[in-house]
Amino acid sequence: MHPEIALLNDFLLVGAALFGVGLIGFVSRRNMIVMFLSVEIMLQGVSLSLAAWGRFHNDFGGQALVLFIIAVAACEAAVALALILTLFHRRCSLDIAAWHFLREANQPPFRDAPLPEEPSERLEPWPHLPPAGARPEKFGEEDKYRPKV
Amino acid sequence: MFDVQTLLILIPALPLAAALATAALGTRLLRDRSHVPVVTALVLSFAASVLLVFQLQERIEERATQPGSSQSAGVEEVVARWSWINVPDAMPHPVDGRVETPGWGNFNIEVSLRADPLTAVMLAMVTCISALVAIYSIGYMRGDPGYWRFFAYVGLFVFSMTMLVSANNFLLLYVFWELVGLCSYLLIGFWYERPAAAAAGKKAFLVNRIGDVGFALGIFLIWTTFGTLDFGGVFQSVGQHAGDWRVTAICLLLLIGACGKSAQFPLHVWLPDAMEGPTPVSALIHAATMVTAGVYMVARCTPLFAAAPDAQYVVAVVGGVTALLGAIIAITQTDLKRILAYSTISHLGYMFVALGTGTLLGITAGMFHLITHAFFKALLFLGAGSVMHAAGGVIDIRRLGGLRRRMPVTYWTFLAGCLSIAGVVPLAGFWSKDAILLSLHDRSGLFGGGLFEILYLTTLLGVVLIDFYMFRPFFLVFHGKEKIPPEAGNHLHESPGSMTAPLVVLAFGSVVVGAYFEWTHGFAHFLSFTPSFECLAQSGHTAIGTADKWRVAAIGSVLTAVGVATAAMLYLGSGKAVARLARAMNVFGLYSLSYGKFFFDPIYNAFVVWPLLSVARLAAWFDCMAIDSLVDRCGRIPKLAGAALRPAQNGLVQFYALAMVFGVLVLLGIMLM
Repeated sequence: MHPEIALLNDFLLVGAALFGVGLIGFVSRRNMIVMFLSVEIMLQGVSLSLAAWGRFHNDFGGQALVLFIIAVAACEAAVALALILTLFHRRCSLDIAAWHFLREANQPPFRDAPLPEEPSERLEPWPHLPPAGARPEKFGEEDKYRPKV
Repeated sequence: MFDVQTLLILIPALPLAAALATAALGTRLLRDRSHVPVVTALVLSFAASVLLVFQLQERIEERATQPGSSQSAGVEEVVARWSWINVPDAMPHPVDGRVETPGWGNFNIEVSLRADPLTAVMLAMVTCISALVAIYSIGYMRGDPGYWRFFAYVGLFVFSMTMLVSANNFLLLYVFWELVGLCSYLLIGFWYERPAAAAAGKKAFLVNRIGDVGFALGIFLIWTTFGTLDFGGVFQSVGQHAGDWRVTAICLLLLIGACGKSAQFPLHVWLPDAMEGPTPVSALIHAATMVTAGVYMVARCTPLFAAAPDAQYVVAVVGGVTALLGAIIAITQTDLKRILAYSTISHLGYMFVALGTGTLLGITAGMFHLITHAFFKALLFLGAGSVMHAAGGVIDIRRLGGLRRRMPVTYWTFLAGCLSIAGVVPLAGFWSKDAILLSLHDRSGLFGGGLFEILYLTTLLGVVLIDFYMFRPFFLVFHGKEKIPPEAGNHLHESPGSMTAPLVVLAFGSVVVGAYFEWTHGFAHFLSFTPSFECLAQSGHTAIGTADKWRVAAIGSVLTAVGVATAAMLYLGSGKAVARLARAMNVFGLYSLSYGKFFFDPIYNAFVVWPLLSVARLAAWFDCMAIDSLVDRCGRIPKLAGAALRPAQNGLVQFYALAMVFGVLVLLGIMLM
C-alpha cells in the first residue's frame, strides 16, 4: 500500500472513531454538558477527516474548512453554554429529560426506568472531624485503611 | 329647450342619481333630510314627463297639418344608447379561424329607449304618482330608522319603472321587469324584522317568479319565431305569422308574466299579503304603478295579441274572472288595506277585460282606466295610511268608527276617492268605467260576441260590488259612533301637512282627470298614435251610436246608485241587518267563501307549496346525511394519518437523535446500493 494512502487510512479511522464515540455519547448521556461535549467530539472527528483529505489531495481546502469549523464551533459553544445555563436555571437540573414535556399533546409522559439497586456494601464511614481542639479518636481498624494518617 | 331624446334619458336618470346619492350619503350626511334628493328628482322627472307629452302632442299636430303624411302612422322616437349584446351570425372560430354561419341571425340587443304616446302617458302617470307618494312619505315615514333606505328604494323603483315603460326591446323590458320586482320585494319586506313582512316579501317574489318564467319562455319563443327582440321588428313581422300557433303560444306565455306582475287570477295571491309593507309603498307600487306593468305589457304587445284572437279571449276571461273574484273577496274583508288590495286586483281585472276586447276602443279604455285608477287608488291607499298613522297602526275597520270629525281632510279626500272609484257621474272613475263597459258592449256585437256579452254582464255585476265594498269600509271608518282604538292614545288627530297635501292633489286629480280627458277627447286621440296600435286603426272600429253611449252610462250609474245605497242602508243603520245578510249568504257558503278569500292560500299550500317543501326537505336530509357525512369522512383522513405519526414526537432528545442517525443510515444504504 502506498504510504500516503496508509496514512490517510489511519487518519480516517481515528476520525471515524472520534465521530462514533461522540455519537454514542450524545445518544446515551442525559447530562446536557456531556451531550454538548459529545457533539464537540463528533465535530473534531469530522475536522480530522477533512484535514486528512486536504493533506492527501495536497491542497488547503480541507484545512481552511477546518479553521472555519473551529471558529463556528467556538460561537456554537458560547450559544450552547448560554442555553444550557438558562435551561439549568429553569429546572435546577442538567438532565435533558426534564424537558421532555415539550412533546406532542396527549402523548404518554416519559418515565425513568427504575434504577438498579446499588450494592450497599459500603465500607465503614469516613471519620467525622472532631470539634476543634480535641484529639480525634481512632477507630479500631482505621490503620488498616489509612495507614498514613 | 329640451328635445325628446334628452328628456327620455333625463326621466329615468334623475331618480337613479337620487337613489344612488341617498344610498351613499343617507347614513352620514342626509339622515332625516334623506327625502330631499329623491323628492327633488321625482318632481323634476314629472316635469320632464309632462314636457315629453307636450312635445309628442306637438308632433301629432304637425302630422295632422301636413297633407302628405299618412294619418294613421304612429309617432315614435327611439334613442339607442349603446349595444349591450352583439353576437353576429357569422363568427370566426376562436381556434382555427374558420368562419361559421349557424344561421340564427344577428343577436343584437341595444340599450335603447323609445318615446311614443303610450310610453309618454305611462311615464307621466308613474312620475306624477311617485312624486306625490314621495312627498307623502316625508310625513309618514318620519322617525323610521330606515328613513334613508326607504327613499333610496323608492328612487330605484321609479328608475326601474320608467325604464320598463320606455324600453325598446323585450330583453330590456324583462330586465327592468325583474328590477321592479326586486324593488317591490325590498319594500314589502321593508320592516324585515317583522316575520309577516318578511314572509310577504318572499311570497310576492316567488309568485312573481312563476309569472316571470312564463315571460322568459315567451321571449325565447319570440326570438326563435321572429329572429329579433326589438318591438318594432317583432310587430312589423307579426303579419307574416298570422294564424301561427307560435304567436298564440307567445301571447299566452306573455300573459302568464303579466298575470304574475299584475296580480291576475290565478297568481293574484301575493298582492293582499304585500300590504305588510309601508302604506306609501302599497299606494305607489302595489296599487298605482308596478302592478300596471302587466297591463302596459299587454297593451304594448297589441300587434301580437291582435294576431292571436284566441289569446285575446283568454286575456278577457282572465280579466273577467279576476274582476269578479277580487270584488267578491273584498266585500267581507276587515283589513282596510286588504280591501283596497282586492279592489286593486279587481280593477286590474277590468283593465285586462278591456284589453281583451282587442279593439282600439277597448285598449284606450283600459289605459284610460289605468290612469284614473292610479289616481283614485293611490288616493285611497294614502287616505288609509293617514287613518293608520293617526290610529296608531290600527287598520281593522271593525275597531274604527266616526273619524270624520277628527280627520276632516282625510275624510273629504277619501270620500272623493270612494265616489271616483265607484263611478259617480262627473268623477274620473265614471268615465273610465263607462269606457270599459262601452268597449265590451261594442265588442259583443262583433265576432265572438257571446263571450263578451257574458263579460259585459260580469263587469256590470262587478260595478255593484265595487260600490258596495268601497262604501262599506268608508261608512264603518268615518261614520257612525266614534270608535278609537287604544293604540291611538287620546290624541287622534289629522295628519301633518306633508301627508294631507298629496291627498288633496290626488283628490283633485281623481275628480277632474277623467272628465278632462273625456271632454277634450285628447287621451284616446293621443294614444291612437302609438305605433303598437297601428294595426287596430287599420282594421277600423264601428262608430258607436249616441243611444248606446247613453244607455251604457245610464245602466252604469243606476247600478252605482244601487251599490252605494245598499252599503248606506246596511252600514249606516244598525249592525243587525248586516249579520242577518251574512247568515243568509252563508246558507250557500258564499260568506265563508268570500271571507276565506276562496281558500286560494290553503289550496296552494296543499297542492304546490307542501309538495315542493317536502322535496326540498328530502333533498336537505340527503345533503345532510349522505353528502355531508361523506365529506366529513374525507376530512378525517389527514387527522388519522396525523394520529399515526404523532407518537414520534415524544419530547426525548435522544430519541430524535437516534431517529436521525437511523435515517442517515438508511439514506447511506440507499446511496451505496
